[in-house]
Amino acid sequence: MVQTSQITKTHAVPIIAVVALLALFGMGYFMVGFDQGQLFSIVQGHAAYTQMNGVGYLHEMTHDMRHASGFPCH
Amino acid sequence: MKTLTFLIIVIVSGFLAGLVHSFLNIALVEPYLDNAIGIENQRLFAQGQAQDNSQFWKQFSDYRIWQKQGSIVAGAILGTATGALFGLVFAYSRNALPGQNDVQKALVLAGIMWAVLYFIPFLKYPANPPTVGEPDTVTFRALTYVAFVALSSLGALGFSRIYKKLENKKFLAFLGYAVFMSIVFFVMPQNPDPIKVPSELINGFRTISAVTVTISWLTNAIILGWLWKKFQPDSVTTRT
Ligand SMILES: [Zn+2]
Repeated sequence: MVQTSQITKTHAVPIIAVVALLALFGMGYFMVGFDQGQLFSIVQGHAAYTQMNGVGYLHEMTHDMRHASGFPCH
Repeated sequence: MKTLTFLIIVIVSGFLAGLVHSFLNIALVEPYLDNAIGIENQRLFAQGQAQDNSQFWKQFSDYRIWQKQGSIVAGAILGTATGALFGLVFAYSRNALPGQNDVQKALVLAGIMWAVLYFIPFLKYPANPPTVGEPDTVTFRALTYVAFVALSSLGALGFSRIYKKLENKKFLAFLGYAVFMSIVFFVMPQNPDPIKVPSELINGFRTISAVTVTISWLTNAIILGWLWKKFQPDSVTTRT
């Protein structure tokens, strides 16, 4: 029996991978670029907007990178 | 497509590029941020909102150490996020991209996405160090920034379709994008905040921050292109 193998190139990206990568982009870009407490407020409610010196935790944690990457801040 | 291989190389390359950005940021950009925050502290003392004493400086330095550690995490998150989009677009556009190999193709795409998502928006809304932005306008500035990036991205997507359809005179697609973005540039409102820190600080910060973001895009492209070549996630071996 002769076995041959064939290499085919497919550039169709499975929908699951598209969804996963777009979600990763949206989530990370928002967290570092714009979050003022919105993300944690899903669990913590309104307190999330002021929990760290009067502002959101993620805002303070990502703060330096937010400025350094060109996002609007204070 | 080998889905898991594809996802892993995309995420790893974005994450590593993000870490490179983080460490360049600590070494090169943080001195400017510290400088700007120093000006901010002096204003707090002058306005009586804080006391210039050892207790203040102790708390302040602990807080800044925490924020700098946070910025390393944030760089990795941002790198992974932009790298995810970059890898996805690379998978769709690889065949159409010019270049002899995957690294060259990835570098071409990184150049385009860097301009569309980062540098053209930067020209309209340049990065500012701390203390420049007014808290009252931050929502307005965030919305206008996102709107500008979205318009730039949609414009690039639209004109890339036209680019594919054009048999010759493909440069018309670039021209079309340039005209479209010029209109967006003039129609979108300015950043309303006045700049109240020395211009050497502003210019130095903007230059070095743009350099580090640019290096992180290049790093992402080189790593993704290299991993793509090595693992070929888009090739499927079928035995017959
Ligand atoms: Zn800030």
